[in-house]
Amino acid sequence: MSLAGFSLQNKTALVLGASSAIGRAAALALAEAGADVAVSTTLATQREELALKECQEKIHALGKKSFAQTIDAAREADVQTLITRTVSELGRLNILVNAHDLPFAKPFADITPKEWQRVLEVNLTGVYLACRAAAEPLLSHGDYGRIINIVSLLGERGMINGSVYCAAQAGVLNLTRALALEWARSGITVNAIGAGWTDGMGLLKDAHIQEQLVRYLPHKRLAQPHEIGEAAVYLASDKSGFITGQTVWIEGGALSHL
Amino acid sequence: MSVLDKLRLDGKITLVTGAGRGLGRAMALDLAEAGADVVVASRTQAQIDETADLIKAQGRRSLAVTVDITNSTSVNAMIEAARTEFGQVDILVNNAGGATKGMFRPLDTIPDAHWHLGVDTNLSGAVYCCRALLPHMVEQGGGKIINITSGFGARAAKNNYMYTAAKAGLINFTRALAINYAEHNVQANLIMPGIFPHDDPVLIKFWRGGRFIPVGRVGKDDEIGPACVFLASELSNYMNGEMIALEGGGLAGGQVPCGFAPVVPLEEDGV
Repeated sequence: MSLAGFSLQNKTALVLGASSAIGRAAALALAEAGADVAVSTTLATQREELALKECQEKIHALGKKSFAQTIDAAREADVQTLITRTVSELGRLNILVNAHDLPFAKPFADITPKEWQRVLEVNLTGVYLACRAAAEPLLSHGDYGRIINIVSLLGERGMINGSVYCAAQAGVLNLTRALALEWARSGITVNAIGAGWTDGMGLLKDAHIQEQLVRYLPHKRLAQPHEIGEAAVYLASDKSGFITGQTVWIEGGALSHL
Repeated sequence: MSVLDKLRLDGKITLVTGAGRGLGRAMALDLAEAGADVVVASRTQAQIDETADLIKAQGRRSLAVTVDITNSTSVNAMIEAARTEFGQVDILVNNAGGATKGMFRPLDTIPDAHWHLGVDTNLSGAVYCCRALLPHMVEQGGGKIINITSGFGARAAKNNYMYTAAKAGLINFTRALAINYAEHNVQANLIMPGIFPHDDPVLIKFWRGGRFIPVGRVGKDDEIGPACVFLASELSNYMNGEMIALEGGGLAGGQVPCGFAPVVPLEEDGV
């Protein structure tokens, strides 16, 4: 190997949820490593769309092809259009990063069926829809393809008021394992990056909660988004082809705790 | 700084045990290629001399030290030799380990001595290395420990007792390191290799070329180095007590035979 083994020159990526802190970091890292990177957000607010636009401009500034598109990740037609556009504008699709995230926490008894459904639709079904739409372009290369799902450590452990979010994240984790096995002989690896508590995360809006959490973490600090997103470069590289169905946890020791 | 520059290890001093051949040598060479100087250790002088020569040929410094990993006096001497030569060690790769006397035998035929040898080779050795080096890492303001476990640390195998127990022990030992030394800026992580026959035709035949591994092949030695470089580099600074498993998908399944693929359609009224 050489460090050139990590290069993603001549590869193309699509990052869903690139307006989130981690998704944006992953998109920029992939572009820095040489890939052309299309970016999308699933939350149609002005703040998210501005963040997405800025991310796209940064990718352009690195001399890489990119476009930005807002979609509803839970709508099959939106996702399909996005994948089709990626293939037509970037030439092909090699790397799919599912980083979209709808944060939600509420006491279990107060969650309405509608809320339950929406959180599962974006955080779990959205991953299914993206993998489904990406299947044809990914499988068509025959020997190289990468799916990288960003999950939270709430996919592995529970949290008060986290029921539906935890269920969705755990769903993505085990979808990762099952799809990894199904596509194992096609050269497509399916892995996850398990994010610890990260600065800018949707679930950490309350400063008091954040302070309480940081005291508990072995590293005594939150992750910076780039510390999570940059791992996508390794999982996307040619040299990670023997890794599939795995989660690379980057969580400052949180899961080593009792 | 570009994300690829963050993988560079220029000026870092690394120590790899079991570096005379196989995965240890592959990791030592890739660490050197990323810019690190590498202390290579194992029992067999001729093998580590060869690894050291390959590293020097890349323009890096290297030192070959023989060690009996099961003997803490020998391990302490190895750490001292490395520190004397290079001043400090920034990255420790605990890779030494493997099959020992009595492996593949029924439990009731394993004498104490064989049990201890297996556990010492595959667990105590890494503990001795960490114990000797960690005070220095704390003093120098941080470091990285990379422990090489095995797929057999997560799943058991027929008549495999010492190795599987020791490799599982190494996993939770690494988590203990993570939470105890996090505040000293030391990160301890694991690489879990699956089946790597090192191009040995006998082993390749034994593992049937990886037919029973989901990706349909065995691991290649040059696939482990990039994982090691990632864990040695600043890219993994928030990763602690965790693992990269290179095993071709085996751990994602395992409760049914490889390739088992039932098709069961929804019934009419279930749609």
